[in-house]
Amino acid sequence: MTSPTRPSLDDPALAIPVDRAGVFEPIPMARTERQQEFYSLRDGEMLINLGPQHPSTHGVLRIVLKISGEQVVDLDPVIGYLHRGVEKLCENADYHQAICYTDPLEYLASLFCEWSPVMAFEKLLDVQVPRRAEYIRVLAGELNRVASHTLYVGFFALDLGGITPVLWSYLERDEIVEILAALTGAKLLFNYFRIGGVNGDLNHEFMSRLGDWMSHASRQVEAGTALLNENEILVRRARGIGTLDRDTAMRMAVTGPNLRASGVPWDIRRAHPYSVYPELEFDVPTRSEGDCLARYLLRVDEIKQSLRIIDQCLHQMPDGPIMAKLPRLVRPRPGRAWAAIEGPRGLYGTYAISDGTDQPFRMRIHDPSFVHLQLLSLLVPGNLIADTMAINASLDPVMGGVDR
Amino acid sequence: MTAVTRRPTLPARALLAGVLLLLVGGLVITLAAVLLLPPLVDFLAANTPLVRFAVAALVLLLITIPVAFIVIYMELKVIARMNLRVGPDRVGPFGAAQSVVHGLKVLAKEDFTPFGVDVAVYTLAPVAVFLTTLMTILVVPFAPGLYGQDFNIGLLYVFAIGGLNVVGLMMAGWGSFNKYSLLGALRAAAQAISYEIPLALAVVGVIILAGTMSLNSIVEQQAGTVFDWNLWRQPLGLVIFFIAAIAEANRTPLDMTEADQELVAGFATEYSGMRFGFFFFAEYVNVFVVSCLVTVLFFGGWNAPFDWPFPVAIDLDPAGYEAWLAFLLVAGPIVGTVALAALLRFFVDWMRWPGALLIAFLLVNLLAVGALVGLAFVTFDWVVGLTWMMVKSFAFVFTFVWLRATLPRVRVDQLMGVAWKWLLPAALVNIFVTAAAVVLVWG
Repeated sequence: MTSPTRPSLDDPALAIPVDRAGVFEPIPMARTERQQEFYSLRDGEMLINLGPQHPSTHGVLRIVLKISGEQVVDLDPVIGYLHRGVEKLCENADYHQAICYTDPLEYLASLFCEWSPVMAFEKLLDVQVPRRAEYIRVLAGELNRVASHTLYVGFFALDLGGITPVLWSYLERDEIVEILAALTGAKLLFNYFRIGGVNGDLNHEFMSRLGDWMSHASRQVEAGTALLNENEILVRRARGIGTLDRDTAMRMAVTGPNLRASGVPWDIRRAHPYSVYPELEFDVPTRSEGDCLARYLLRVDEIKQSLRIIDQCLHQMPDGPIMAKLPRLVRPRPGRAWAAIEGPRGLYGTYAISDGTDQPFRMRIHDPSFVHLQLLSLLVPGNLIADTMAINASLDPVMGGVDR
Repeated sequence: MTAVTRRPTLPARALLAGVLLLLVGGLVITLAAVLLLPPLVDFLAANTPLVRFAVAALVLLLITIPVAFIVIYMELKVIARMNLRVGPDRVGPFGAAQSVVHGLKVLAKEDFTPFGVDVAVYTLAPVAVFLTTLMTILVVPFAPGLYGQDFNIGLLYVFAIGGLNVVGLMMAGWGSFNKYSLLGALRAAAQAISYEIPLALAVVGVIILAGTMSLNSIVEQQAGTVFDWNLWRQPLGLVIFFIAAIAEANRTPLDMTEADQELVAGFATEYSGMRFGFFFFAEYVNVFVVSCLVTVLFFGGWNAPFDWPFPVAIDLDPAGYEAWLAFLLVAGPIVGTVALAALLRFFVDWMRWPGALLIAFLLVNLLAVGALVGLAFVTFDWVVGLTWMMVKSFAFVFTFVWLRATLPRVRVDQLMGVAWKWLLPAALVNIFVTAAAVVLVWG
């Protein structure tokens, strides 16, 4: 039922005229002051479409750049090309089924996308997760974090024009993916966490593969990043570019490595501890520069911390069940729950409302990539076109998470 | 019931057409030969330089094809190895025919002209780019006596034609009706202007030392051992020339014009099919030409790095062998094949006669070809020279590929900064020091 009196956004009468000179350029309808300002071109300026099919937009992001020569004057990120309605899908599935819809949100860190809804549902149901299950979750999650960060290192270099590091970082990721496949049965979309525990216990193949990998993991990371850390071209292109200061970072609700690279030591694993992180020893690395290089180096530091956590998990792994006792069909009492975790890109949060049925009444997902994408309009203008890719890569947005 | 018409089948029709074509064509060619050949031969005999030029141009045009294929194969395979990949390995031994298949694929693609392009400019751009590259090879001395043309202004010619390259890129960028292409083309123009200067100034030292701009003379003056090469007399010039050459050949880390992470494919964004193929052909041939220039100017060209005993004069007199020569040529291969096959048959367990004969036949032929090549190598100086020239040039092609696999791309302002702030002053210092040394030490 739509009311006929409600104004439509596509009504041409509502369009604000745009002052444009180009004959061939299709003139979009401007509906806001901002759009009118952006799509009006001054002398010597030109609009250029970056994406959705572009080699370095990390998926199907479209950025309309307003450039003057090589310099970016302004930009307009256009999102929504990967919208699948995940939140709505989750509201039409029961609690167990909803988990698998959240998996492909961020395909580089699927376990973290499962983790926060699972935690929210556990809060709704008031379930105590067995300690062994929590340890397995942390173990698998940190493995996934290393996989995501190593890929970040490679793609950051790729967007700066180096073609080799990305394939070297796949070396690491392939091993981790095999390890996780031994544990979860899948390589990309794991669907491993369950409400009240995890899907399967540690097995022999997982342990042997993990042992193999752990014996050379830190050396491999060192070797891979040593090629980049001391590369003059990479350092010169990343240092001082896209500097995000502390106050702006906090004002823009930046989380995760991007925030810590700006000097704020805020890590949800320490700030609002969940799971078994209070029992584990690890540092929260921070850097004060806030530029692309700092964001890159911070991720390298985080890989090392993750390796520490994995090591501790293996040593402290308790015996016991891996699932809490739960009925097959769960009907939580009416209520609301918010659960946030620290993912490789920042805060992954889920807000779920239960109305007492077996399906979530409302489910909302907070994804860090969406928040970080907003930084582009702050950081990029004034830099060159090439820096757009550097900044975009250093912020590490995954479009699956942005568009949901 | 429909009447059965007897039409020739497809192979029959093809055969018929072929026979007709041969008949008519043969007649026409014979007539033309009878009528035109004598005056033509007279004309050619009267204009030997013209004939030499025509043959050289044809050979150079044809030489680009294998050269580009080898460079593309190196690019695929070397970068793959550095990326921990296997690279192409399906077509031919170790995937060696991959670039041939690439070429055929590009030929078979649709010749597509997008909407809004300036058709004339868009169509001529790949031709312009390819022609300029081709024209540069003309003066490269591959071996003693093996060159397209020897100008006394050879080096100047190289830079002049190399500068024309950017016209083709600008045409592509302007004619494509695409903003990425336009940006790429403008970058190409800026980059060419910036890097032509250090490139040209870097070799002024070599010109001062050689006293000539003829590439042949420059190579001849470096004859001797490795210590006679310009490399030792012009180290700074070599470094500047090499860096500027990377930019000139549009290779990573200085390939601003087609920075794929920024400008999709730069000036070539709107091109497909063989037009795109021409751009890539030109790029890879350009890499080879630039490598050749580095070799010629600084690494002694065709000269061997040490006192190489070849070529030697072998005094062969085939007529002196009389009947034995005929016997060697006719019976030698057969006897050799059978003897080798017999050896294989009786000493290799799983070998049977047909297989043994086949393998022996191939081995004997290989042996014969190898012996001929070896004979040519030790006898003719241009074979020796060509070998050294190619070894050195492809070492530099390898370096270009290696750089591409290793380094990220510099930013466009950094690129300009390097050219104007570092390379240009360094090149000027190099000229000054060289001139001073020539005047004070040798003068």
